[in-house]
Amino acid sequence: MSDGRDTTPALGTHGRPASWRRAREGAPVAGARSRWGDAIWSFIYGREDTSYRAAPLPAGELAAVNRAGRSAPPPEQLAGPFVKPPVWTWEVPLYFWFGGIASGASFVALACDVAGDRRSARIARGVALGTVAPAPLLLMADLGRPGRFLNMLRIFKPRSPMNLGAWSLVAFSALDAAAVGADLLGVRRAGRGLGAATAVVGGYLGSYTGVLLATTAIPLWARSRLLLGPIFVSTATATGAAATRLALVAAGLERGHPTDRALGTLADGAMVTELALSTLNERRLRHAAAAMRGGRAGALFALARGAVGAGLLLRRARGPLGPRADDAASVLFLAGGLAFRYAWLEAGVASAHDDEAAARMGRGRLTAEDEHGAGPRGARLRSRERPPLRGAPGPRRAWSEAVRRASLAVERLTTSRAA
Amino acid sequence: MTRPEASHPVEGTRLAAPSFTTTVPTEIAVRRDGAERMGFFTDTTVCIGCKACEVACKQWNDLPADGSQFRKGGSYDHTGELNASTWRHVRFVELLEPASLPRLPAHGELDLVGAAAGMAEVDVAAAVARMDDWIFMSDVCKHCTNAGCLDACPTGALIRTELETVIVQPDVCNGCGYCVPACPFGVIDRDPVDGRAAKCTLCYDRLQDGLEPACAKSCPTDSIQFGPYDELVEVAAGRVAELRRRGVEGAYLYGAGDDPGHELAGGLGAFFLLTEPPERYGLPAAADSPIQENVVPATIAAVGAGLAAAAAATAAFLHAARRARRGGR
Repeated sequence: MSDGRDTTPALGTHGRPASWRRAREGAPVAGARSRWGDAIWSFIYGREDTSYRAAPLPAGELAAVNRAGRSAPPPEQLAGPFVKPPVWTWEVPLYFWFGGIASGASFVALACDVAGDRRSARIARGVALGTVAPAPLLLMADLGRPGRFLNMLRIFKPRSPMNLGAWSLVAFSALDAAAVGADLLGVRRAGRGLGAATAVVGGYLGSYTGVLLATTAIPLWARSRLLLGPIFVSTATATGAAATRLALVAAGLERGHPTDRALGTLADGAMVTELALSTLNERRLRHAAAAMRGGRAGALFALARGAVGAGLLLRRARGPLGPRADDAASVLFLAGGLAFRYAWLEAGVASAHDDEAAARMGRGRLTAEDEHGAGPRGARLRSRERPPLRGAPGPRRAWSEAVRRASLAVERLTTSRAA
Repeated sequence: MTRPEASHPVEGTRLAAPSFTTTVPTEIAVRRDGAERMGFFTDTTVCIGCKACEVACKQWNDLPADGSQFRKGGSYDHTGELNASTWRHVRFVELLEPASLPRLPAHGELDLVGAAAGMAEVDVAAAVARMDDWIFMSDVCKHCTNAGCLDACPTGALIRTELETVIVQPDVCNGCGYCVPACPFGVIDRDPVDGRAAKCTLCYDRLQDGLEPACAKSCPTDSIQFGPYDELVEVAAGRVAELRRRGVEGAYLYGAGDDPGHELAGGLGAFFLLTEPPERYGLPAAADSPIQENVVPATIAAVGAGLAAAAAATAAFLHAARRARRGGR
C-alpha cells in the first residue's frame, strides 16, 4: 500500500496543518450561503410535491422500530471487517515485557526492604532501572511519528490508559533513578523511601498495559476486561522476580538464602496464578477465545505455556542440573513471559479479523445477555466536559502549547538528520 | 433547468415535530456562539453505489488513491474498507457467491463445460430472486457522542469541535495507534506512509466557510444529506415512516432516535437508514466507547491485582525470612 505513493501535501508541509491565505480578506466564498444553505439545493427532498418523506414517526415508535431493526435475526453472511486490528508492531509486546520486569523488580525491592535484605533491595532497584530504560525507546520506535513522543505529556488525561501509562512511565523512571542515585550516594533512607514510591507507581506500570488492551473494541481483549489486568500483573511479577533472581545470583547471592527462596516462591506463585487466570478467562470467553487457539497466537500461547510449565517442573524436580535448575527455571519464566506478551498481541490481531466474535459482542450488548459479552453496566466514565489538564486555563494552555511546539521542533530536528 | 429557490427543507415545512434531544455536549475543544450539532444522514435506500462521494472526499481532502483491486473474494467493491486514505467508503452489501461455484481463469481459454462438470445445478429462479439483494451504503466516521477514539487519544490530538464532530489535529497526532482498535466501528486508521491517524473531519474546513461537506455536495441522489442534527433526525424519521407506509418493513435508523440508554455510542452524529440487520453492513448491533465501557472495572481489577502482587511479594519474603530464622536456615 505504501509503495510508490505520492503523499506530498498540496498545501503546507508534512507534519503541519495545511494553511493558506485568502486572496481578498473577508471575500465571500463562492457557493456558500448562510447556515450552509448550499446543502439545500435538492430537487426532491426539499419540496412538497415529492413523496420522499412523510410525517415523522413519533419518537417512541421510531425507537421501537430501530430496536426491532437492530435485533432482527443476524444474517448468515457477515460483511466484515467490523473493527480494525491494532497497528502495533514488535516493539510494543517487548515494551510490555520490559515494563513488566521493571514493575516486578520494584515490588521485589520493596519486599526485600521490608524483610531487611538491604543489599538485595538495592540490586533490585538497579534491575528495575535497567529494564525500564529501554521502555521509552521502544515506545518511541512504535509511534507513527517517533519525533513527536513528547506530545504524550501535552495533557494529563486519566481516561486514556495510554496517557496515564506514559505519565506513570516517566514517574517510575524518575523515582527509580532517584532511588538508585540515593543508594549510590549512600543516603539509605531516601533510597528506601523512593523505592517504596517506585513500587506504588510500579503497581500501575505493570497493570495498565492490560487495561490498555481491555479498553479497545477488539472482542478478545474487551471481553477479558476484568482478567487482562491481573493476568498482566502476574506475568510482570513473575518475570520481575525471575530477572531479579538472576541478577542477584550473578552478584553473588548464596544459594538457599531466604531472598533466593522467596524469589523462587514468588515467581512460581505468580506464574501459576497467570496460568490459572488465563485458563479461566479462556473458558469464560467461549467463542471469542477462538483467536487464542489457531495460527501464530495459538503457537505463541503454546510456547509460553510450555516454557512456564517446564520452568515449574524444573523447580519441583531438579534433575541433573542440581541447584542450577533454579536459574534455568528463571530463564524459562522470562522466556515464557515474553512469549505471553507477543501471544496476547497476536491474538488481538486475530480477534479483530474474527467477524463472528465482533458481531456477537454487539448482539450480546443489545440483549444484555452475558453470554456473548457484557453490556455496559456498573461504574462508567460518562461523557461530560473535562479539561485536559487540571488547574487554571492559562498555564494549562501554555503547557500544552509549549509541549506541542517542542515536539514539532524535535521532529523537525530528527527528520532533517535522517534525511 | 432552473434551480429551485434555496429554501430550507424543514424551515418551510416544519411538521408537528417529535422532540429529538441530543445528548449533552462532550469535551468541546472549539467554542463558537450559536454553533449547533451538525451531522450526516445517509439513506441507503437511494444510494446507487456510484462512489462519487469517495472521489469527492479524496479530491477535497487531498487523499491518495488506493489502487483498483477487487479485494474481498468475489466482491465488486474495490475499496474494501474505511482507512486512513478512504474517509468515505461505499460499502457493497452483497451476498457473495458460494465458494463451490467454478473459478474461471482471468486469462487464456475458458473451459466452461469442464469447469461446470460436477457442479450442482444452479437454481435460476432463486438466483434471479436474489439479484436485487445488492445494496449500497456510503459508510463514514460516525462522529459518536461517546467517541472511543477521542477517549483513547493520549495526546489530545483528537478533539470535539463546536459542531460536535470529532477531528484529528494533524500537528499534534504522534501516531501512537491507540485510537485504531479503540473505534468500535473500525473507522479510524493510521496511515502507513504518513504515520498519523486520519479519518473523516466532516469537512471541518469547508464548514468554516459555509460550504457543505464534499461527499454530501457530490451525492447525485442525496443519499448523503448534511444538516443540523435535530433537523436531519426529523427528515430521517419521516423517511422511515414513508418507507414503512410503502411496505418496506425492515427500514430503521441506525444511530439516531433511540431510547436513552439504548443509543449506539451515545448517539451517532452520522447516522444511517438501513433495511437489513446491521451485520450485513459490517456494523455492530450495539456499540459504545470501549473506554467508557471498560476502563473503570478494568483499572480497578488491574490496580487491585498490582497491590495484591506487591503484598504477595512482601509476604513471600517475610515468610522466607521467618523460616530461615526458625530453622537456622
